Amino acid sequence: MKNKTNQITAFYILASLFIAIISFKLLKTYTSTFDCHLYSFIKDLIFITITGLFFRYILHKNDEKNTKFYENLKQTNDKIKESNEKYDIVAKATSDTIWDWKIPEDNLTWNKGIKGIYGYNQDQIENNSKWWFNNIHPEDSIKMSIKLYSFLEQKTEKWQDQYRFKCADNTYKHVLDRGFLLKDKNGKAVRMIGAIQDITKQKEEENRLKLLETVFTQAKDSIIITEAESNDGQIPKIVFANPAYINMSGYKTNEIIGKSPNLFMGKNSDIQQIEKLTNAITNKEECLLEIICYKKDQSEYRVQLSFIPVYNLEHELSHWISIQRDVTEEKELEKEKEQLIQELTKNNKDLKQFSYITSHNLRAPLSNLTGLLNLIKDISIEDEELKEIITGFNKSTHLLNETINDLAKVITIRDNSAIQNEEALIKNVFQNIFNQLRFQIESHKPELNINFGDITTIYTHKAYFESIILNLLTNAIKYRSEDRKLIIEITGAKINNTIVITVKDNGIGINLERHKDKIFGLYQRFHNHPDSKGLGLYLVKSQIESMGGTISIESEVNKGTTFTLTFKA
Amino acid sequence: MLDLIMCVDDDPITLMLLKKVIDKAAFSKETITAQNGEEALEFFKSLKNTLTKDTTTNLPQLIFLDLNMPVMGGWEFLDCFNTPEYLNFNDIKVVILSSTIDPEDISKSKTYPIVIDFLPKPITTSILDYLKTKI
Repeated sequence: MKNKTNQITAFYILASLFIAIISFKLLKTYTSTFDCHLYSFIKDLIFITITGLFFRYILHKNDEKNTKFYENLKQTNDKIKESNEKYDIVAKATSDTIWDWKIPEDNLTWNKGIKGIYGYNQDQIENNSKWWFNNIHPEDSIKMSIKLYSFLEQKTEKWQDQYRFKCADNTYKHVLDRGFLLKDKNGKAVRMIGAIQDITKQKEEENRLKLLETVFTQAKDSIIITEAESNDGQIPKIVFANPAYINMSGYKTNEIIGKSPNLFMGKNSDIQQIEKLTNAITNKEECLLEIICYKKDQSEYRVQLSFIPVYNLEHELSHWISIQRDVTEEKELEKEKEQLIQELTKNNKDLKQFSYITSHNLRAPLSNLTGLLNLIKDISIEDEELKEIITGFNKSTHLLNETINDLAKVITIRDNSAIQNEEALIKNVFQNIFNQLRFQIESHKPELNINFGDITTIYTHKAYFESIILNLLTNAIKYRSEDRKLIIEITGAKINNTIVITVKDNGIGINLERHKDKIFGLYQRFHNHPDSKGLGLYLVKSQIESMGGTISIESEVNKGTTFTLTFKA
Repeated sequence: MLDLIMCVDDDPITLMLLKKVIDKAAFSKETITAQNGEEALEFFKSLKNTLTKDTTTNLPQLIFLDLNMPVMGGWEFLDCFNTPEYLNFNDIKVVILSSTIDPEDISKSKTYPIVIDFLPKPITTSILDYLKTKI
């Protein structure tokens, strides 16, 4: 640079000298005044030298200034370059999405994060603030803009905000946006640069934790968390207690925190249970117990509690969690219930015993009567009147005997909780029944249609099954219509896992509308029949139900009655 | 036909009936009765004394036993009768004759080996005929 200045200066001097010499030579040739010429030439030489030197000085100064300026410029440039590089690196390294908003022009640009995290392609983005605001969740946008404008007007110092930002696929992400403001000389905001951080995961985790926390705060069960260990042999100190616990114990939170749960034990607390708990804590084992505790006002309550060890990620015992439930009332109710059951069981047993004794006491003299009448049978009686009296006596005794026997059956059915079922041949069952009914069948000659299809056996309590069919057949014969020949149809069929048996007659029927509820009741009689005791159907129902079966009836007055029985096959 | 049987029942009518039916069915030549378990035990106690002197004494071959009796019922009688004191008589069979319908009584009777049957009252000649086949 200096050389150039010197060159220019030298060139200037040489050129000026050349012109001065030419002028001097020309003047010398064409003029005559020598002195004047020499003088003028010397003056020119001096002038040229001085101006040349001066010129060089100015040039040199200028040059120096330029060099300085250039160096400054270069430095600034380097700084900017470095800064830009740094920015690029940071923008690349950060997971944040960076935006740059030139406020006066309303020009807003986004870095690559807008695609990477929110899925927007460059052509989907409008480079203005409106696009930004439009993608903020409607519920968050008002709150957010209020905060932002108050920052832009520099009423607040810092700006950061959380809102939901819409992604390209129309889902929302929770974001944390932080920005700073650039101002011009007049302090007017001209540019704002911000970084958006995707905090969806944190937010979700936060929500999850909040939700989990509600278990603790909202639970009706009392929960406390204690330290892992204690060094005074007591139960470790309480760290947390939920509102339910506060409510149950009657203490205030600050009266419990830092205290051992031994605080709640008292004179009626079972020492064995406390030991059990202390041992479990020493052995780091889960423990369940029921113990009497004391509220702040020293009133007792019975609590059922668990003590569960909690381990941290390093598998070290970090806390104990205890879930407790006040079972005072439950216990009382249970006690009452137990007492009630005991009383009922005793009453039931007494009643059963009573019915057996009653039955026995009725049967004993009755059996004497029957026995005596059996003896009379073999004695011939001449007196007709006496004969008549004895016949009546005989009939009544037998009827009484039947009634008592039926009642006795009812009692034993009620008592036989475990029924022993066996495989019974249908054929045998009906043979037995017909043997017992021989007299009735012979005297009324009903048409009997029995069809059991391919069912040959039935798994049942044989005696009950016979008794049921016998009773229904006796009823059919007893309540036959005098106007037509009695037809009885008995069918059996297997439907799924049940055997359905129907017993159908064409007898006088029952008015079901009137008697529906009472049909299977005890001592219900619907026809004025001398042999009717009001026991048969009650017995049938009791027997079939004790086997786990059902019975239903369809009947129409003067048309007939159908009983449908179901048994488990 | 048996030689001697014993009937234990508190009801005189039952005893009368029993005797008559036994006669009729020619079940036993002789019948002795007791009003309750204790009376029956007394009889065996006295029998035990005579037994030592005279071994030919006739022992009852069968006992008809009622369950429900005052002073000492049938079960208590059976319990005593099974003690070593009455060891000499443990060949004697017992038939329970009762009006009970309590199923527990029937299952209980099965726990006594000397009880050979449990029959409902009233006793009839046909029942006695059946019993003859069993003894």
